[in-house]
Amino acid sequence: MKRILVVAAVVAAACGGSRAESSAASVLVVFNAGSLARPLRAALDSFAARDKVEIQQENAGSLETARKLTELGKVPDIIALADEEVFPQLLMPAHVTWYARFAHNRMVLAYTARSRFAAEITPDNWWKVVVRDGVETGRSDPQLDPNGYRTLLVLQLAERHYGQPGLAVRLLRAMPDRNVRPKETDLVGLLEAGELDYIWSYESMARALGLKYVRLPDAIDLSSPADFASYATASVKVRGRGVDSVTFRGRPIVYAFSVPTHAPHREVAERFASWLASADGRRVLRAQGLDALDSVSVVGTGAPAGIAR
Amino acid sequence: MMAAPSSPPARGAQRAVALVAAVASSLLLLFLAVPIGKLIGAGGLDGVRQLFSDGELRQALGLTAFTATAATLLGVLGGTPLAWLLARRDFHGRAVLAAVLDLPLLIPHPVAGIALLLLLGRESAVGGALLAAGLRVVGTPLGIIAAMLFVAAPLFISGAREAFARVEPRYEAVARTLGDSPLRAFLRITLPMSRRGLIASAVVMWARAVSEFGAIVVLTYNPKVASVLSYDRFTSFGLREALPVAAVLAVLALIPLIALRTLRGADDGART
Repeated sequence: MKRILVVAAVVAAACGGSRAESSAASVLVVFNAGSLARPLRAALDSFAARDKVEIQQENAGSLETARKLTELGKVPDIIALADEEVFPQLLMPAHVTWYARFAHNRMVLAYTARSRFAAEITPDNWWKVVVRDGVETGRSDPQLDPNGYRTLLVLQLAERHYGQPGLAVRLLRAMPDRNVRPKETDLVGLLEAGELDYIWSYESMARALGLKYVRLPDAIDLSSPADFASYATASVKVRGRGVDSVTFRGRPIVYAFSVPTHAPHREVAERFASWLASADGRRVLRAQGLDALDSVSVVGTGAPAGIAR
Repeated sequence: MMAAPSSPPARGAQRAVALVAAVASSLLLLFLAVPIGKLIGAGGLDGVRQLFSDGELRQALGLTAFTATAATLLGVLGGTPLAWLLARRDFHGRAVLAAVLDLPLLIPHPVAGIALLLLLGRESAVGGALLAAGLRVVGTPLGIIAAMLFVAAPLFISGAREAFARVEPRYEAVARTLGDSPLRAFLRITLPMSRRGLIASAVVMWARAVSEFGAIVVLTYNPKVASVLSYDRFTSFGLREALPVAAVLAVLALIPLIALRTLRGADDGART
């Protein structure tokens, strides 16, 4: 009997101890697009160091991230995606009422020093290099990942920009299904292992990972708000539910985040959101290679006052 | 029940143990069976219906069955001698070898995929040689088989090793004294006596191969096996599209499992 009492006392003490601890540090749950993993990690770390917050970060493709809310009922405190369009398409109004655009990006062709023809490739000849024999180029799945359908859009824009009828089809043939992976971050390992010579990626990722990359002309890399109209002339159809299909038009790449309506730790989330939109937050993101906007712009209603300025 | 004339406190203790055992095993049974039951209940009918309308699903299931079976055959072929060696021969480094063979079970599956990529990619010696011979591993069904073999073969080897260990070495020794070669003794005595354990281990390996996702998706995303297809459907279209794929995989995987259990049951009956 005495032994049981001792065990009970130890267990109670342990429970009490851990409860006291967990209330001291608040929690911030963040779901983000794969390409935001590093810049957000850095931002979260410097926020957590200041505010004594425990961070729980989940990285996945933008669409997969949205599905966690819509299908699995998992609600984070912060959701940050690589395509602002996913918010109105999947998450508004049931899960979020606003989103804040906070960064730009551009499509690039990333490679390493070991890639075939690494010494020769330039912004002018890349489209001739990737179709050469023995060159393997990877892309992500257009069904799952914005980078995947953006790659297809870039190929169309390239065909027009270089005045080469049929170029998009030839380029796509040089990146067959076997070189596809679910999201662009999955391609990096294959590139580094030498399995692929070039991968379609974002400038921010290539910079953060220290990869070499071909910077494409503004007219095709989906970076420039000024080219909005010409980007929109490119479009890809992606299979939708059942027999339906979804059409994506070309538009400048804009990253956005939000605090879901039912965020479990709303107060911390809004503090982090305001901090991310501040000059301090911007500096951390930029240090990680992400092209943070000079000021965030909010779409929708209900954003905390600290963000919508 | 009342037969044993034990003292009252001992009987009480026995009853308590029986109660705890019953509660614990019932809870575990529910924990294992309910999710599968729910999955099949939610998606089973749709899944079976989709078998007729959805070519991609049929293809994925066919590919899964083919690659898992190929991986299992390779595992049995290479794993049987290894398991016998581990069970029967006392040699330097046996414990180390056994531990090394368990390692693939400990490695997170995406990491296993990356390790295989380093072995079988086109830049590696092995992968380069295979590619020169016209065999591409990464991005093809060969990559799927490689991933399945890596993550599932350890299960066959450890099961087969146990099966061999249960056969009395004396029988082999008797066969040897009667003039059998070691191989003949193995084929005539050890193999038939451990057959059921070997089959059970192969079934476990096959089932593990069917369910693999993490290592496969690193090596070969397209063409898609069923696990990858269900992930793909979930991400692009949501739970409603993913459930039937997962459910039909569970239903179809049940068929060989039940068939083999039934076979073994009949076998047991014949023996007694």
